[in-house]
Amino acid sequence: MQRKSTTLTLGLIVIVGLLTVCPVVMLIVGSFSQGLGSFGTFTLEKYIQSYTDPAFAEIILNTVIFTLGSAIVATLLALFLAYLNTRTNIPFKFLFGVISIIPMMIPHILFAVSWLLLLNPSNGLINLFLKDVFNLTHSPFNIYTLPGMILVEGLLDLPIAYLILAPALAAFDVSMEESSKVCGASNLRTLARVTLPILRPAILASITLVIVRSLASFAVPSVIGMPGRIYVLSTHIYRIIATGFATDYGMAAAVGMSALAASTILIYLYRYLTAEGDRYVTISSRGYRPTVIDLKKAKYPFFVVVAILSFILIVLPVLVLLYTSLVPYSMVPSARAFSMMSLRHWTEVLGDPISILSVKNSMFLGIFGATLGVILSIFVCYAIVKVRTAASGLLESLSFLSFSFPGIVIGVGFMWLFVRTPLYATIWALLIGYIATYLPYGIRPLTSAFVQIHAHLEESSRVCGGGTLYTLRRIVIPLLIPGIVSAWILMATMFVRELTLSVVLSRPGTEVLAVQVLRFAEDGLWGKLSALGIIMIFISTTLVILASLTGAKLTKVKTVGGEETQKKLQEPSVK
Amino acid sequence: MDIHITKLNKTYFSEGRRIEALFDVNLAIPANEIFTLLGPSGCGKTTLLRSIVGLEMPDEGEIQIGDEIVFSTRKGIFVPPEKRGLSMVFQSYAIWPHMNVFDNVAYPLQTQKKPKEEIRDRVKNTLEFVQLGGFENRPATKLSGGQQQRVALARALVAQPKVILFDEPLSNLDAKLREETRKELREFLTTLRITAVYVTHDRIEALSLSDTVAVMKEGRIVEIGTPKQIYFDSDRRFVADFIGRANLVEGSAAKVEADRTIVNTALGDIVCSKKKDVSPGDAVVVCVRPEFIEVMEKTGGEGPNIFNGHIDSLIFVGDAYEGEIRVGDTVLIVRVEPTLDVHQGDEVALRFDPDHCSILLK
Repeated sequence: MQRKSTTLTLGLIVIVGLLTVCPVVMLIVGSFSQGLGSFGTFTLEKYIQSYTDPAFAEIILNTVIFTLGSAIVATLLALFLAYLNTRTNIPFKFLFGVISIIPMMIPHILFAVSWLLLLNPSNGLINLFLKDVFNLTHSPFNIYTLPGMILVEGLLDLPIAYLILAPALAAFDVSMEESSKVCGASNLRTLARVTLPILRPAILASITLVIVRSLASFAVPSVIGMPGRIYVLSTHIYRIIATGFATDYGMAAAVGMSALAASTILIYLYRYLTAEGDRYVTISSRGYRPTVIDLKKAKYPFFVVVAILSFILIVLPVLVLLYTSLVPYSMVPSARAFSMMSLRHWTEVLGDPISILSVKNSMFLGIFGATLGVILSIFVCYAIVKVRTAASGLLESLSFLSFSFPGIVIGVGFMWLFVRTPLYATIWALLIGYIATYLPYGIRPLTSAFVQIHAHLEESSRVCGGGTLYTLRRIVIPLLIPGIVSAWILMATMFVRELTLSVVLSRPGTEVLAVQVLRFAEDGLWGKLSALGIIMIFISTTLVILASLTGAKLTKVKTVGGEETQKKLQEPSVK
Repeated sequence: MDIHITKLNKTYFSEGRRIEALFDVNLAIPANEIFTLLGPSGCGKTTLLRSIVGLEMPDEGEIQIGDEIVFSTRKGIFVPPEKRGLSMVFQSYAIWPHMNVFDNVAYPLQTQKKPKEEIRDRVKNTLEFVQLGGFENRPATKLSGGQQQRVALARALVAQPKVILFDEPLSNLDAKLREETRKELREFLTTLRITAVYVTHDRIEALSLSDTVAVMKEGRIVEIGTPKQIYFDSDRRFVADFIGRANLVEGSAAKVEADRTIVNTALGDIVCSKKKDVSPGDAVVVCVRPEFIEVMEKTGGEGPNIFNGHIDSLIFVGDAYEGEIRVGDTVLIVRVEPTLDVHQGDEVALRFDPDHCSILLK
């Protein structure tokens, strides 16, 4: 039995290793090669060419400002929200849960587009409105700037920052603050000397992770940055491979190496910080309730701020897209605008063969890809959590490896790989790339599901007379279902909205939704874009709902036997 | 049903070290008794229990339950746990969180494909027996620790197994609840007259619950006996020390009389109860438990087993004082009645009850 489990772990190491290490190796090889078609002789030419480019310094500077700015915006907002939720008596706390989960379901490119539709200088809705009201000659806002990019990216990464900071604040032992006050420190001194230093690892972890995310971000830099000629690393790579006369995958690989290196270092920093954070948490005592600060009259103003934020994050993007998909061109909502509404953009999109193809492709990738990804994740998690051989650690690191790779860079690596295989320009190339890149999204929830199934739960079933298969059917699988469902939902939504990997790997015939949205954005076809965007959100939401319902039904079926006997059990007593 | 264990061996490799979890264990567990395996953590008691139930496969040996051999390396037999017809209460209770109380308890009967009516009746009766009547529909996760423990017990009892195994079932309860549950468990098991094998590291649990106690150390059975034999008349220094607070004084046997043995120690001569196989000149250890040392205010008394010392420390622990009394270079732990008017630094006299001065082989 021992040998069989070792074979399983080794087999998985080979599969996951091929998925995650191969593109990186190909990226490195590619960066020292002469061309995509044939490697040629070893050359440093691509590095020299890309890093001596006079425009490169500006790109690096833009990247630093963009990523750091987004990290600060997201972390400050998240800190504010997390504090309000965990430490005050603000009403309607359920909103915080909504803020931290729902925005993940809105594709980043659509969120970026909706802000562009509101704040672009020529016909942004808010700009048009303000010009009308105040008789301005110039638009007051211009989204095509670094601050504009930072605002949108910061809002997009707010949920991630919140998910790091909220648990840290919730685990914060208030007695540490109280003892500081007892020692004679003022509120301000307590904040500076106790509260912030204790939260520092979490704050730094949040900043680091948002930097990694915004470094990998392609939606905001492409939709908002490129029209304003503000290039960051990801769009620079995109420019090298997708625009201009000669695409150069060698140069893209060479540039990608620096993004890869930066990202990997930051992820190590993040791991270090969260490990340190855990150490702080273990110091705190167990079983306490944090004292809640009474906001008194400030309660409702604060709540209004939170409500506006949730509106901006969730409702506004959808509303703007819906509105834009119905009006013929950008105009401020008015009686005239409503009278001119039509389904023209919708019929155009539904009649556009490429758009329809992209819907089909994305749905196939979402449903089939997520299913395959979850199956692989189940085996990997089983090997990591339950088999636990010496090789399990290696498997675990391999499966989380792709977490630190920017999508577009890994896309370039896959390109160097796939161009040598019959998979090139097929939907399978996208499928493999997606699973490799988003494997952590499947593994995270399943790991916790497996951890939850304590060995005693299975052993107890064996002792009670349940054989291996009986135990699997009645104990293991029912307990795994919630984990399987959340893993599937995460992967499916990620796949339906996937952009960064797809812009590299998608070829004619394998268009996907996000890439098609990007094409519409590049051509300024906002109406068609919005219609397709709404379809995209609809598909994601439907998949989430269907998966949750299936999960609920499956777990219910397993206990029906008991419930039936329950009913019978009660009947006689009624008679 | 009785259990016979012959020459059971099991070795682990953990972090590059070889650990002998079981070493040549021979054991006969009598039927319809509560048999306890007691020992410090890592002594192999849980491995032995898991080997009996079939969750662990020993490297060598034979296990026979009733007439059936369930494990034998020589005969190449390994009956899987689900075919052994035993039941077990786990330390973590192992209550399945996705099922309600009824399904948890009904599970062993459902695996046997019993008719629904029979399952319903037997679950109802068993739940009533453990005083959880009417809890059938409760989700298992919505129970207190004590209630979960009863569900685990009900699940173990419902199929009327030949043998019940307990793996430290009380260690997750708080002190007060543990005491109550211990008494209840004793009642349940005595009423049912069932063979129970109970694993614990808690000596009070072992002494108060068991008919027979086997003390284990480093994979070996060190001593087997009734709780009283183990407590008062142990042979081994390890057992005497592990089972309760004890003063252990080293010395050598000086004189062997008809019903007494006199041991020469640093304190002086101690008159002890008779022990077989001790001849004059043997190096031995005298064990005197604190409750059998009488503390007297006046010093200077003469007679056997009277020693003079002074009080090093005196700590009030509720029902008595716990004192450390220095006699020469030896410090003895004693129990001082709160009515006695003595203070730290006082000179006192101690008298050991010869009937309770037992001789241990080293």
